Amino acid sequence: MRLELKIDGVDQPIELLRNGPDCRFRLADAPARAAHVETPEPGIYSVLLDGLSYDTSVEETPTGLVVVIHGHRFEIEVRDPRRWTRGSGAAGAEGLQTILSPMPGKIIRVLIAPGDAVETGQGLIVVEAMKMQNEMKATRAGRVLSVTVKEGATVSAGEILATIE
Amino acid sequence: MDASSTDYGQACAGPEGTLALLQFGFMFRKVLIANRGEIAVRVMRTLREMDIASVAVYSDADRTSKHVRMADEAEHVGPSLSSDSYLRMDRILDAARKHGAEAIHPGYGFLSENADFAAACEEAGVVFIGPSAHSIRMMGSKTAARQTAIAAGAPVVPGTDHGVSLDQAREFAAANGYPILLKAVAGGGGKGMRRVDRDADLESALRNASSEAERSFRNSEVYVEKLIEHPRHIEIQLMGDHHGNMIHLGERECSIQRRHQKVIEECPSPLVEQHLEMRPAMGQAAIRAARAAGYYNAGTVEFLVDQDRRFYFLEMNTRLQVEHPVTELVTGLDLVRLQIEIAAGGRLPLTQQQVSWRGSAIECRIYAEDPYNDFLPYPGKITRLSRPLGPGVRVDGCIYAGWTVPMEYDPLLAKLAVWAGTRADSTARMIRALGEYDVGGIRTNIGFFRQILEDPEFRAGNLHTGFIEEFFARNQRPKPSPDLVAVAALAAAVHSQSRTTAVTAQPDAPSSAWRQEGRSGLLR
Repeated sequence: MRLELKIDGVDQPIELLRNGPDCRFRLADAPARAAHVETPEPGIYSVLLDGLSYDTSVEETPTGLVVVIHGHRFEIEVRDPRRWTRGSGAAGAEGLQTILSPMPGKIIRVLIAPGDAVETGQGLIVVEAMKMQNEMKATRAGRVLSVTVKEGATVSAGEILATIE
Repeated sequence: MDASSTDYGQACAGPEGTLALLQFGFMFRKVLIANRGEIAVRVMRTLREMDIASVAVYSDADRTSKHVRMADEAEHVGPSLSSDSYLRMDRILDAARKHGAEAIHPGYGFLSENADFAAACEEAGVVFIGPSAHSIRMMGSKTAARQTAIAAGAPVVPGTDHGVSLDQAREFAAANGYPILLKAVAGGGGKGMRRVDRDADLESALRNASSEAERSFRNSEVYVEKLIEHPRHIEIQLMGDHHGNMIHLGERECSIQRRHQKVIEECPSPLVEQHLEMRPAMGQAAIRAARAAGYYNAGTVEFLVDQDRRFYFLEMNTRLQVEHPVTELVTGLDLVRLQIEIAAGGRLPLTQQQVSWRGSAIECRIYAEDPYNDFLPYPGKITRLSRPLGPGVRVDGCIYAGWTVPMEYDPLLAKLAVWAGTRADSTARMIRALGEYDVGGIRTNIGFFRQILEDPEFRAGNLHTGFIEEFFARNQRPKPSPDLVAVAALAAAVHSQSRTTAVTAQPDAPSSAWRQEGRSGLLR
């Protein structure tokens, strides 16, 4: 199985040459390697590679996977042409700004409506969690295409709040 | 409330009553904890050791929270919003009456520094485990505390003693020079606080600080202080009884902060350890200030220490502090137990000469937040939890696997504290313990703490309140080795593959293809 991975913003395809605990894989242009992988708990992968032990946690978020090993965190986008059909997200199509929630929380104010013209730095939507308010601002001027949340709604991190063209 | 506790309440309403009860070795049989989260759990642990029944209060969001599960009795006090539940004095007191609690421990935050609540408890014949309403009034607002401290001869940072208008703030800045600090009169926890470096920023900073103060404390008043560059935050723990005895339990250094909130605390302070004459000097200054307010029970006097080791009274916290465990580890005392014994009329069980400090303790505040995204909160469901164990490790927490961290309250999940003989050893022990701490499903600052503790400046004890900002400026995120990247990629691939398999095998798997499809649709 071959998967297109984007690890911390860098494209690195991975190929699983042999499945099961005793697996073989090839990352990008590197030579094929053997590793032993077990799942002692849901979301935890115990990986033995070249005699070293890596206790690895994998978590799903709306924008991809977060993998933590020895306190180091990787953000990984997994693209399998058959399932992960998401578009290019925040980077977006030409000229499209996608406003994503930076944290799980509650929408406490929506300051825009579809069709509104917005200026760079203008406040759009205010998200609140744990007594912290966060105002999402327009990164450049444009017109509001859609607002996908209402005041009072609960959102997860990485969820789309609005789009601006 | 039954007859006997009513009698007790009247007997204990004044100090003479308390004194009379002490003669019979009086102790409470039941205590209500007017709080939630880790501190409610912390207080309950000591209550249980003292064979005192505990009563929890909870809001809608907290029905399955640890403090409710752990308590002997529990009472619902309202909806999730804290102003409708944990801040409702009437409901808390009703709960105390209904359950026959003889005393209330307020924890920290919520009603803990509310003089009206302390007074209401007294009127209701329930003992407030803390200082008197009078002391809270004298020390509770930062400006009143400053005046008390000045009167007691404690050094203070130049500042206004009252809320200011824009013109008054401008006048102060002209007289004392920038940078200045705007602070909420009723403030705490960094809310309503702004640094201002030049006149052009003053107006908007004052407006923002004032509106944040209004939102957080329902009091928009803001005062001004001269800002001390690169200060250390060192505080003194005090404990006093109702019989005029007061001792200090040494210092805690809390210089590692983000958004003006402490995240790492230690005892002893690495600075004081090098200059031991500072401990009695700061300790006595703290005692003088507290005595001027007629203080008893646990309290903390916070000082800013400048680069020349001069210390300035900052404020007094008239309650148990979040970071009290490091003092407990180094002095061998249980501060909550002392609080309860003192509130029941008991005498301090030790003199200043009997207080000793042994070894080094460090505490990390584990928050549900993303350190790599401006420390934004990250509430959610905890899918997996594995706590550090082994020598010298203490965890004060309220979380469990399967619990959803509510988005209504503070993001503090747990406090991880370690003790070892020396600071170098306790630092190494903390790094080891952090490595064992695994919280899945939400983001936490656990990995970030490891980086801070490995930092040479931290290890050298060169601390100041701007440490974290400078740390970020000084360090890139460490570059992972190619092997680490390979393992991450492999885990991600195996995970994605297993998910496909799981979906085919059991359509009801939590992360089903349908949900995945829905997500993809959302992100398309």
